[in-house]
Amino acid sequence: MGTLTAADEAQLKAQLQDAVVCCTDRCLSHSAKWAAELLNSLPSTSVDDGSDTDADSPMSDARAPHTPADAVSKNPAELRLEAQESHRYLLAKSYFDCREFDRCAAVFLPTTLPPGAIHPSSSPAATPKQAGKGKPKAGTPAKAKSATGTVQGLSQRSLFLALYAKYIAGEKRMNEDSEMILGPQDGGVTLNKELPGISVVLEEWFRNLPTSGRQPQGWLEYLYGIVLAKGKNEPLAMDYFIRSVHQYSYNWGAWQELSNLLGTIEELNQIVSRLPQNIMTFIFHVTASQELYQSTEQIHASLSQILTIFPTSAFLKTQRALLLYHTKDFEDAEQVFSDLLVTDPHRVDHLDNYSNILYVMEKRAKLAFLAQLATSIDKFRPETCCVIGNYYSSKSEHEKAVMYFRRALTLDRTFLSAWTLMGHEFVEMKNTHAAIESYRRAVDVNRKDYRAWYGLGQTYEVLEMHSYALFYHQRAAALRPYDPKLWMAVGQCFGRIGKVPNGIRAYKRALVAGSYYDAGVGSSFGSGEVSGLGGGILDPEVLYQIALLYERVNDMPECAAYMELVLAQEEGPEFEDAGGEAEPAAGVGVTATTSKARLWLARWEFMRGMYQRAMELANELCQDGVEVEDAKALVRDIRARIEREKGDGRA
Amino acid sequence: MATPRYLTAHKISLLILVKIYCGSPLPASATIPVLSFIISHSIPSVSSTARARPCLENGETSFSVGAFEDALQGIASSMPGRTLLDLFLKHMWELSSFDTLHDLFDGMGHLVRERDDAAAEPLADRMYLSRTSPVGAFVRRARLEFIRLQFDDAMKLWSAFIRYRAPTAQWTKRLAGYALDGVDKIAGEMGLGPGDDLYEVAYGHLAVEEREGTISIDDFDRLLEFQLDQLQRLGSRVPDEMREQLRTMLGPSGVALRQSHLVKFFDAWKAGDYTSAFDNLHRYYDYAMQTREKIHYQYALLHMAILQADFGCFGEAIAAINETIATARENQDMTCLNFSLSWLNHMSKAYPRQMKGAGYMGMLGSERDGLTFLKAKAKETRMYNLLSATLLNEAKLCLASGESIPRALEYMYQASHLHIKESINNHGSQMLLLGSLFSRLGITHLSDVHCQLLLHCYEHSCPIDERIRSVCRCALSAAQYGRYDEALDLLQAIHATTHRSLKYHQYLFLCTGLVKLKRAVRRTDWTACESLLSFLKPDSSTDPEMCFMLSEARVEYLMARGLHSDAFSAIEALSTSLREEGVDILHRITILLAKAELFRRVGKPTMGFSVTLRAASVAFKARLMPCLWSATGLLASILSELGEYDAAARLLHAAIPQALEHNDNSLVGVLYSHIGDSYMGLAGLADTSAANGARLRAANVSRAELYINRAQESFKKVEDITGECEQLMKKAVIARLRGDEKLAEEWAQNHNRVWEAGLARLVDSETSG
Repeated sequence: MGTLTAADEAQLKAQLQDAVVCCTDRCLSHSAKWAAELLNSLPSTSVDDGSDTDADSPMSDARAPHTPADAVSKNPAELRLEAQESHRYLLAKSYFDCREFDRCAAVFLPTTLPPGAIHPSSSPAATPKQAGKGKPKAGTPAKAKSATGTVQGLSQRSLFLALYAKYIAGEKRMNEDSEMILGPQDGGVTLNKELPGISVVLEEWFRNLPTSGRQPQGWLEYLYGIVLAKGKNEPLAMDYFIRSVHQYSYNWGAWQELSNLLGTIEELNQIVSRLPQNIMTFIFHVTASQELYQSTEQIHASLSQILTIFPTSAFLKTQRALLLYHTKDFEDAEQVFSDLLVTDPHRVDHLDNYSNILYVMEKRAKLAFLAQLATSIDKFRPETCCVIGNYYSSKSEHEKAVMYFRRALTLDRTFLSAWTLMGHEFVEMKNTHAAIESYRRAVDVNRKDYRAWYGLGQTYEVLEMHSYALFYHQRAAALRPYDPKLWMAVGQCFGRIGKVPNGIRAYKRALVAGSYYDAGVGSSFGSGEVSGLGGGILDPEVLYQIALLYERVNDMPECAAYMELVLAQEEGPEFEDAGGEAEPAAGVGVTATTSKARLWLARWEFMRGMYQRAMELANELCQDGVEVEDAKALVRDIRARIEREKGDGRA
Repeated sequence: MATPRYLTAHKISLLILVKIYCGSPLPASATIPVLSFIISHSIPSVSSTARARPCLENGETSFSVGAFEDALQGIASSMPGRTLLDLFLKHMWELSSFDTLHDLFDGMGHLVRERDDAAAEPLADRMYLSRTSPVGAFVRRARLEFIRLQFDDAMKLWSAFIRYRAPTAQWTKRLAGYALDGVDKIAGEMGLGPGDDLYEVAYGHLAVEEREGTISIDDFDRLLEFQLDQLQRLGSRVPDEMREQLRTMLGPSGVALRQSHLVKFFDAWKAGDYTSAFDNLHRYYDYAMQTREKIHYQYALLHMAILQADFGCFGEAIAAINETIATARENQDMTCLNFSLSWLNHMSKAYPRQMKGAGYMGMLGSERDGLTFLKAKAKETRMYNLLSATLLNEAKLCLASGESIPRALEYMYQASHLHIKESINNHGSQMLLLGSLFSRLGITHLSDVHCQLLLHCYEHSCPIDERIRSVCRCALSAAQYGRYDEALDLLQAIHATTHRSLKYHQYLFLCTGLVKLKRAVRRTDWTACESLLSFLKPDSSTDPEMCFMLSEARVEYLMARGLHSDAFSAIEALSTSLREEGVDILHRITILLAKAELFRRVGKPTMGFSVTLRAASVAFKARLMPCLWSATGLLASILSELGEYDAAARLLHAAIPQALEHNDNSLVGVLYSHIGDSYMGLAGLADTSAANGARLRAANVSRAELYINRAQESFKKVEDITGECEQLMKKAVIARLRGDEKLAEEWAQNHNRVWEAGLARLVDSETSG
């Protein structure tokens, strides 16, 4: 991409401004916020300063795109319709702003409109998918006709606003109907009862689209995509989102929904070709990759490129920090967040991630400060509650932590990290059932959260349900193929359920993954032992586990070889093959694992009759002061044997 | 929650001090001051009535960090050259971030030794608190409260703490390394300071919110508790500045504590604001119902009864107290029951007429039975307060019915013993009773001493009511001696705050009026008398004793002015009203004496003979010495009238020396003048023909002159112009009798001069007043 030309930049600005206005018109406040933030993160170039009219009168600047951009992007038919109903539109918008959603919808839509609304009440269990698919066919055409008649006469903007208001009203009611978080009735299945109605209208609209001769603007597609996604009709939803972003690229909401639908990097790669080629796609790609834990050099490079265009974008910087966080580069991630905090002190977005970082880094004082800060900005934001929950968790006050996570979820049931973190807290409190439920809900909200998958696996392991746990560990490992910890968990489960070869393969995978990162391999939560292994060092624990598995299948030579490898890790790699490196020895030293391996080897050598080597190993053990009793006993045995053999030899 | 529940910055500071105390060995000299400082600030002061406790709660000064500075400055720490204050501030400023505050509270848990690890070897120079020790309990409570805090409340606490310690910022310069960080280490590390946006978000509110968080609800509780205690025990009102403070504290925070209504109730009550007192009492008990304790009901009724009675609505009061008694019986609340009965007893005694009028028939049979019953109950339930009150009541009854003084004294000493043994703060009423006993015995000096004693020793712990009474008594006795100005000064010297209660104000007003009236009568200032009398009209709620004194003064005035028939009808009315009630024997005798005096004044002393004789015999039996002496005087005058001069003189010779001790110059003057009269009579009897007789007459005349002189002096002391002039007249007559015309003339002129001087003084006081 490189740097933009002045003209490109001006155009970008104009488009972003237009995006802010359009999103605001449709009451998509978050998308509007996003676009406005991006707009303001562009450097104020000298081009603008030169043209005095533009620079001095921001009003004209803001107005400018409204008319000309409309002229280019919108067709006259829509404009005419919009002009016709402008008064009613203003009324509807003000109702929406007053949070009177039903009233807003009623401005444009007849109240008798949704034919689907009657049916879900008779069969509340029916998913919107069924309703959306089946209803238009089965529904009474006469009624639908009358409805569509009114709908067709509306401009797309008004229709969107009305349907969106309906959707929001449904969401609101859904939240009101929901039970207490993790209460006895809280199954997480409360449905948005407005969805079928919206779906019917939109379906009708899109069916008539080719014949009506109207040009789609992308907004209705976006809404329909949401409705479809809620009905778990994901391929179709993805289609509509892609259509939406083709028609209007600057609606960040659409991109976000799209990325929510992506489960794996492969899916992302599949749809990339179908996306439009512009800067939004670029940003989307980076974000989606981040969310899929793809923190490769390439992504970093792309991000840097975008950052040259939007040098002060808090959003993009956050993405950078999250990428660093995924690669466990906590120091840098912390620095990025810290800078962000200083430049934009009132921003609460993504502070929960920051608190995760601080948690892992054990910077408790700073975590407290962050919590304090977030609380003084707004104590009823889910992010704030998460920060506080993390703080209490770091102080081992798990009950209070759960209380705050719960509060976060009450504020926003789809707040992913709170579900996961609450699961962790429940694990700490030994409340495995609640933990499983929390993790499950996290996974339901977002299937890409490997920590929740891993947590599920761990919890099932605690419950001794290994084959179950295996499934979850595999999911987690699939999401993060380069995290040795996850592979270790997989291997362990395989071992437990008796699939030794698979276990060995998983452990070997862990070894590979472990050596893949040259940065330290830690864990973001749980029983994380941060082993600062340098490049080339293999995790002795993994090696030991492999050896044990080989022992189980009676492949003693392999087993012994791996045990030797474990011992070798004490010294570091350069002892054997990396002699050229001037790096000081980065071995792990004597640990419990290596000692166990040594003891095993000693016994093995003893059994093989290699008394000399066995003696050496046993003496080393005595020197290290680990397992001394066993080692001494072994030494005595070896002496006895040697004596006897000598005696035999003499005799 | 705008007001913290328990924890405040002040309490955090105390915790720090506790930590220092436990963590590092202090020099032995520091231990006691530190501990007592901690205790005095952390433990709610027990309501020990025995001694006046230090007032922690007066004002906010004791809450500020300055209190720590003052207390710790003088205490050396174990580090040479450093005071404990340095150590304390070092710890204060070591709390460099919100997290460290959490750590502080976490760490506090280790200071308290759990029960089971008592056997564990304690570390060398560390001290552990026992769980149940006062400091241990304080630490545990603080920790618990901190754990209960919501995050943002904890944050507010932290902000409050920062604000709290801010005044000590200059001390950090002495402690290297702490000044750099500012209030928060993290903010310091991030390079933030005031003015930065982020800093403003986190700590910007520090500058704005000033008072919030300095006082917790717990402190409020203590504060109001203290106020209530003061109100109830002393019967005073909330001082103005305190009320202002309370309002600012309570106002914006939105905390409405029950007790605050109770405080308002007492305040309004004492202010004489019947409606709002009533209103607030109801409000308080309505809120008290929240706790679903029915026990409050009878106390509500009790308060109501007292309130009603205080405002003179005896009918309602009796209804309320009957209900109280019924409820208390039902709930088996002995304390309340006994107290109600005792109060009812007291009321029926204090306001017999009003109570009868309101339909009170007596609950416990005769009064003596009632007292015996109460005494038995009090002993049974170990309610020493009630027991002491009952004993004093019994003593009072003894006195009033003229029974033996030793028994009354015995009761009083029993009560006194109880006061000391059980540390009951009832000294005030006991002292007053003892004082009145002595004044009845005619030992004015001792009576005064007891009043003074009360004022000196128990001024801060006894109810204002009793204080005012004792002052009034002193004033009246001074007036009796003739030191009117001193009396008025005494009354005026009473601090204005006590006037703020309507009842006391009225009492003081009447008392002042009485002193002035007495003076005016003696000075024959009739206009002043009339104006004073016009507003010294007692009403139904006035203290009965004061009522009687006023009526007595009125009779005195009428007699002095020569309105004898008016005086007679007043006396008659008074005696009939007294007869109905069965009142204090003293009052009855006084009435009898007034009647006899009236007869004497109209020149028919013999008509009062039987009255006087009865008065004298009763007074003698009841040991009402002052009454006895005036009865003796009257008797002597009757005897003189009958020509029994010798007997009169002998009577008076017996009475006068004792009467002199009584310090009542008016009485002494009267007695002297009577004895002078009787000597004159003796002189008249002497046979002048015999040489012996002439000598005897001369001797009697000179004796008479001597006593007349003394009488004149006495009258002069009490500014009794009529009396003084009468004596001067007598002197002039004696001079003429001796044939010394010149001297007689001189005395006559003297008489005129005194009379005119008296009149001139009147004019003066009128013009100046």
